[in-house]
Amino acid sequence: MTDTTEYDFESEALSYMDQLYAAALRMTRNGADAEDLVQETFAKAFAAQDKFTPGTNLKAWLYRIQTNAFINSYRKKQREPKRSDAETVEDWQLAAAAEHTSSGLASAEDRALDSLGDDVIRQAMSELSDDFRMAVYLSDVEGFAYKEIAEIMDTPVGTVMSRLHRGRKLLREKLRDYAAERGLYERTPVKKDKDGGACRAQA
Amino acid sequence: MHAVPKPECEEALDRLFEYIDHELPEDEIHLIGEHLKTCPPCEAEHKINEKIKRLVNRTGHDVAPEELRSRILATIRATRPETS
Repeated sequence: MTDTTEYDFESEALSYMDQLYAAALRMTRNGADAEDLVQETFAKAFAAQDKFTPGTNLKAWLYRIQTNAFINSYRKKQREPKRSDAETVEDWQLAAAAEHTSSGLASAEDRALDSLGDDVIRQAMSELSDDFRMAVYLSDVEGFAYKEIAEIMDTPVGTVMSRLHRGRKLLREKLRDYAAERGLYERTPVKKDKDGGACRAQA
Repeated sequence: MHAVPKPECEEALDRLFEYIDHELPEDEIHLIGEHLKTCPPCEAEHKINEKIKRLVNRTGHDVAPEELRSRILATIRATRPETS
């Protein structure tokens, strides 16, 4: 007879399957690869379950396994040319401050966001680089704290914050582009020079 | 237009994501919250970023295919040392 008071690793782990699958879809951007990744995650998790301490964060532990599995097997396989996000957002802080001067534009943008379909949001997310996309996903969809994301992505909290800042800035840019394409939002050129326009530069 | 920036704006905009993500201590939440109430451009930024977070959340959930679930359950049963 099994001890029923024992921690039920198996059923608790399995209860996160939908979430791990949704995350795997964002990681691999492909249904078949996502299924393989989740299966690999569970295989690894069950094989290593004696390393898990009951009472600690099982969900984060599983995400960590899945993130590692993704990096080791899929990212290498994809051999995707590395996109440089650095050249798209030169200085997110300056960009953030520049927003501050245009409150009329902000309300137009706010309204445009309401009219964008879910497919557009998903598309824009999928266009972010892996690290940015996963940081945003783990925070916005799964509600992980920065510290947990840092553990899952095996990176310092400061890097998580930077990925979130940059990822969200890029995502917002992409949503503006999609809104503009659909005639929902009129883009005005944003000055990118270091001395003009930006609130922070004047401060 | 809100051409003249204030140090409070800079502080609020710097910490906006941390504010939205509930990563700030109480006193800072209070300070930024108070600033947002009195500064429409900063509040507009706050609203947009919060809305995008909600949109990402709304579109980020999926259900694992039944077939995947059965495949994983079958694997676990096959490798389980003892059946209960």
